[in-house]
Formats: sequence, structure tokens, C-alpha cells
Amino acid sequence: MGKIVLENVTKSFGDTQVIPPLNLTIEDGEFAVFVGPSGCGKSTLLRLIAGLEDCTSGDVLINGDVVTQVSPSKRGLAMVFQTYALYPHMTVRKNIAFPMRMSGMSEAEQEKKIQAAAESLNLTDYLDRKPGQLSGGQRQRVAIGRAIVRDPKAFLFDEPLSNLDAALRVGMRLEISEMHARMGTTMIYVTHDQVEAMTMADKIVVLQAGVIEQVGSPLDLYHKPQNEFVAGFIGSPKMNLIKTDEAAKHNAATIGIRPEHLTVSTTDGAWKGTVGVAEHLGSDTFIHVHDTGLADMITVRISGDIAVKHGDRIFLTPEADQIHKFDANGLRI
Amino acid sequence: MANRTLPRLLQTPAVILLLLWMIVPLSMTLYFSFIRYVLNNLRRPEWTKPSIDNWRGFGNYEFVLNNKDFILAIQNSLVIVGSILFLTVILGVLIAVLINKTFPGQGIVRVLLISPFFVMPAVNAVLWINMILDPVLGLQGIAVDGINTWISGLKDAPLVGWFFSLWPTLEPISFRATQTSAIAVIIMVTWQWTPFAVLIFMTSLQSEDQQQKEAAILDGANTWNQFRFLTLPHLGRPIAIVVMIQAIFHLSLYAEIEIVSRGNGNKNLPYLIGEFANNNIGAASATGIFAVILANIVAIFLLRMIGKTLME
Ligand SMILES: Nc1ncnc2c1ncn2[C@@H]1O[C@H](COP(=O)(O)OP(=O)(O)OP(=O)(O)O)[C@@H](O)[C@H]1O
Ligand SMILES: [Mg+2]
Repeated sequence: MGKIVLENVTKSFGDTQVIPPLNLTIEDGEFAVFVGPSGCGKSTLLRLIAGLEDCTSGDVLINGDVVTQVSPSKRGLAMVFQTYALYPHMTVRKNIAFPMRMSGMSEAEQEKKIQAAAESLNLTDYLDRKPGQLSGGQRQRVAIGRAIVRDPKAFLFDEPLSNLDAALRVGMRLEISEMHARMGTTMIYVTHDQVEAMTMADKIVVLQAGVIEQVGSPLDLYHKPQNEFVAGFIGSPKMNLIKTDEAAKHNAATIGIRPEHLTVSTTDGAWKGTVGVAEHLGSDTFIHVHDTGLADMITVRISGDIAVKHGDRIFLTPEADQIHKFDANGLRI
Repeated sequence: MANRTLPRLLQTPAVILLLLWMIVPLSMTLYFSFIRYVLNNLRRPEWTKPSIDNWRGFGNYEFVLNNKDFILAIQNSLVIVGSILFLTVILGVLIAVLINKTFPGQGIVRVLLISPFFVMPAVNAVLWINMILDPVLGLQGIAVDGINTWISGLKDAPLVGWFFSLWPTLEPISFRATQTSAIAVIIMVTWQWTPFAVLIFMTSLQSEDQQQKEAAILDGANTWNQFRFLTLPHLGRPIAIVVMIQAIFHLSLYAEIEIVSRGNGNKNLPYLIGEFANNNIGAASATGIFAVILANIVAIFLLRMIGKTLME
């Protein structure tokens, strides 16, 4: 049970306002992901919800109760940090037991919960080790275990996977998604990773300089970005934004076309250019096209392979119904 | 194997130097402790030269063990070192935690806190025993005097006078007396060495992980529990270092004891060695060997204790 509401929350460090008045509702059981460029205030927002930072003004509500003045431990939220923040002098068992020990739970009950958590996180064999003797993935699992045993109203994750290698990240991503499906607890997740955001989220919150640019489901954001910033931020490779006469033809200040919505030909097409770097991923190929007269560079993504090399002439055709139009203020038309 | 020879050869001078450094004084002490060797004896002039002919076996050790001051000196050594360690570590941790927070005037406060450490031991002792602890002229005398005058003034006050008239007149304590001179030594050395502990602990506190603290806050740990379960284990190693270094230094305290009471009822092992060395080098050496043994016992004991309690 954890519906989290932010009402006109602001945060300033000294004179600099990091978060201007901000409103956001995260429904009970929802998986919300905060994305945005570095320094946009994602962590700050998460810490405001957790109570590790005080709101300069505005209120945080959990299940309808104003908790702005409530101490972090009384809010009933659990946080998982990027650096794990395990207690280095305690064994895994003691780490997981710590929140229960602090709340004065009986030893027997503690042990039961530790066993349950360890089993669901594959940590049973490591309970008597110290954090220093674990791998990164195992450490992160211990941190999650420490969060689970508190039965929190919501989990807060601050880039929990960014210290792990790519393969492990995919595995942990699935584990967290499964955990969410199983427990149905509200989760708020901060990440830099496009794929994490798109695959895990029920709802993505795109932030820029402390301002919410758009809130919506991953596909909402992908198909209907409300402004240029979201258009450029969601999707990988990035959407091509074109501001030249070509945009005027569509009665817009800017038009955007995603790399995967361009078709490629070596003989004819709407736009002409020369091939720069071609990145062959096997399943896909990303081609950087220069000299189109539209933008510095247009990125194209095609399925499979194509036999082009540096300097070749190439023609591009956008899929007409996939062109995003934006007005002079960057807002979607 | 062959390619190890050159590095070994190059290390040899350093190793030999270190060995000599350690072994020569130790073996000379051992040698002297088994022979009769005095600086001045008119009846037996042959004892004034160290020689194997004056072999005495364990005689010097027996002599030392039967000396009425010996057990007292060991007790005193342990009491003084133990008290100083206990006080400096506790005060050091408290002060370090306190000044680790940011506050205005931080820099000056830190410099002032460290400064006692730069006072010479002898100066420190003279300062404390004459200017602070002296029952007549020192701050103690003045303070006790002041309190007495104040209370006797209040005895005639209406309403509360009866209460103060029950109070006894305070007597200043003489810290040069047999029973109290060890306390004076403990106070002055604690004052001087607490800054050392503070310095080491503060450095270590600066490297404490703040996210662990935040995680603990979310886990419901109050300030005491954060201190108990995070800060104290984090300080385990620095505490061990402070204890070891101080144990080494304070087992050999001398100047303070000399200045406070000239060893009157308050000798420690080094002071006893000093007294023997006025004439009886053999006995002094035997005491020295006892001191080495004591130091090793203390070191092992301390390391065990710290390892158990702090590093879980
Ligand atoms: N304690 C602080 N004092 C002053 N400024 C701060 C403090 N913490 C954060 N800031 C500023 O607030 C802004 C937002 O920081 P925040 O850590 O929330 O960014 P972020 O979105 O999490 O970035 P990243 O993705 O790099 O982690 C930054 O400009 C940062 O410089
Ligand atoms: Mg961050």
C-alpha cells in the first residue's frame, strides 16, 4: 500500500533552486521510473520522498497522510543506493537483520524473514559472509534483501544497477521486475539507462532541470513525446530533429523522425546524403548519414545488414505517419 | 632462485642495520642482567667492570623480585597506562565525533585542540603540578578557596542558609602525596595525549561513508545506534593504532613521575630502572628485561581485546 503524492514540492540548496514547484502522483503498486540528464534532480527528488532531504516548501503525502515533517524511518519507505551502502562490519545476515533489529523484532521472527529474503534472492549460501567478500551483484541483492524485510510501503531505487556490468544488469533488471510483479509494492526507480526505463516502468517521469517534462507510459512517451526534449531523450539512438525548410513543409518549427522510421535506399528516396560511420550490431545497423542539408547528422537504424561503406551515397525516406511535429516553443503539434 | 640473489643482497645492509639496532642493546641488557655490575663499590672493585667472571645467574632477578618497590612499580605502570588509554580513547572519540560536524570557527577550534600535543612532557608536568594542581598556588587551590568563601557567605543567607551551613569546608588535594601523585600523572598525560587520539579519529571519521549513515537512518537507527553500529566499528582500527602507540609511549613515562613526586610512592618500571641505574646496573638490566616482558604481555592483551570487541 503506497500511493505517493508530491504537492508543490520545491527544493533549494542555498540560493539555487534545484526543484521548482513540482506536482506528481505515483499510484499504489505502480513502477515509476525517473529519467533525465545528469544533475536534473532525480536523486534529490528521491531523497525528498525518502525524507533524507527536507522540502524547502510543499508537501509529500504517503497514502494521503502528509509526511513532510515525519522522520525518514517513520515514513515506511526502503531505499536501495547505487553504492549499495551495506554495513561493512556486519555479515550479510546481520545486514539484512539490521532494520528488524532496530525495530525490536523478536529473534525468531527475524530469522524467518532473513531466510525468506535470502531464498528469494539466492543469498542462502552467503549469509555468513561480509559484504567485502561478495560480488557487485550479490551486494546489490543484499541491499534489496535489507529493503524487502522491512515490508515497506514503497521501494526507492537510486540507479541500483549502474555499478554492475552489462550482463548482470540485464539479469538484475528482470529480477527487480519480477519482484515488483510478485509483491505489487510501489517502486520508484531512478536510472540513466533507456532500456531499464522502457522495459521496467509502468510510468516514466522525464525530468529536466527539476521540471517534469512529461509523465506517461513508456509507449506513450515513445509515440507521443509532448515536446522536443522528451522526443530527443526517449529512444535510442536518439530521434533526429530537423529544423530546416523541410520542417516548414510540414507547418512545424521542428520535425522529428526516429532512426527506425527511416527507410534506406542506394538509388532513390526523399533525402540524399553520404554515409559516415556504420555501426553493425548484427541484428541491427546504425548508419550515420552526413551532408543531407537537414541536420549535422541523421541517424538511421535498419534491421539486419546493408552493404554500405564510408563515403557512399545514400537515400532516406521517412515514414509519413511517423513524423513528429513541434512548434517554435518545442511543444508537440 | 638466481634472480632473487641480487635483490636479497641489496636488502642485506638494511636488514643487518635493523638487526643490530635491536639485538645489540637487547643482548647487552641480557648480559648485564646475569652478571654483577655496579658503578661504585669500594669493597669489591672488580664488580665495577662488566665481566663474565662476575656471573650471578638469576641473582639480579631475585634481587629485583624481592625489592619492595618492584610489584608496586608494575602495578603502577599498568594502572597509569590503563587509565590513560581508557581516558584518551573515550575522550578522543567523543571530541572527534563532536568536532567532525561543521560549525563556525572550526579551524581555530581544531588547532587549539591539537596544541597540547606540542607541549614538551617536562613542561607539561611542571605546568600542571605547579600552576593547576597545586593545593595553594594552583588553580585548584584558588578554586577550592573561592568555593569555600562563597559557601560560608551563603551560610548567613535567609531561607537557604541552613542548607549551606550543613556543607563541609572543602580541602584542596595535594597531588604530590603518595596516594595521589599517580592521579596527577594520569591527568596531565591524558590532557597531552587526547589530541593525538582526536587527530587520528577525526581523520578516520572524515572517510566514513555517508550513504551507510543514510541507509541506517532509513532502517530506523537513531543517533546512538548509528554511532554504535557504524561509527564505532569504523573506528576500530584507528583505536587499535592509538592504543598501541600510546601503550608503547606510556609504559616508559619518566619525566612526569620525576617532576610530580620524584617517584615518592609512585614509581613505574622505568623509574625503578632509573633508580637502580644510579649504581646497580645488573639489577637495572634485570628490571629492563621484566619491562620488555611486561610490554609484550600488554601488547598481546590489548590487541586481542580490541580485535574481539570492535571488529565483530
Ligand atoms: N547537497 C547539495 N548541495 C548543493 N547542491 C546540490 C546538493 N545535492 C545536489 N545538488 C545539486 O542539485 C542538482 C541535482 O542533483 P541530483 O543529485 O539530484 O542530480 P541527479 O539527477 O541525481 O544527477 P545524476 O544523474 O548525475 O545522479 C545538481 O545540480 C547538484 O549540483
Ligand atoms: Mg543521482
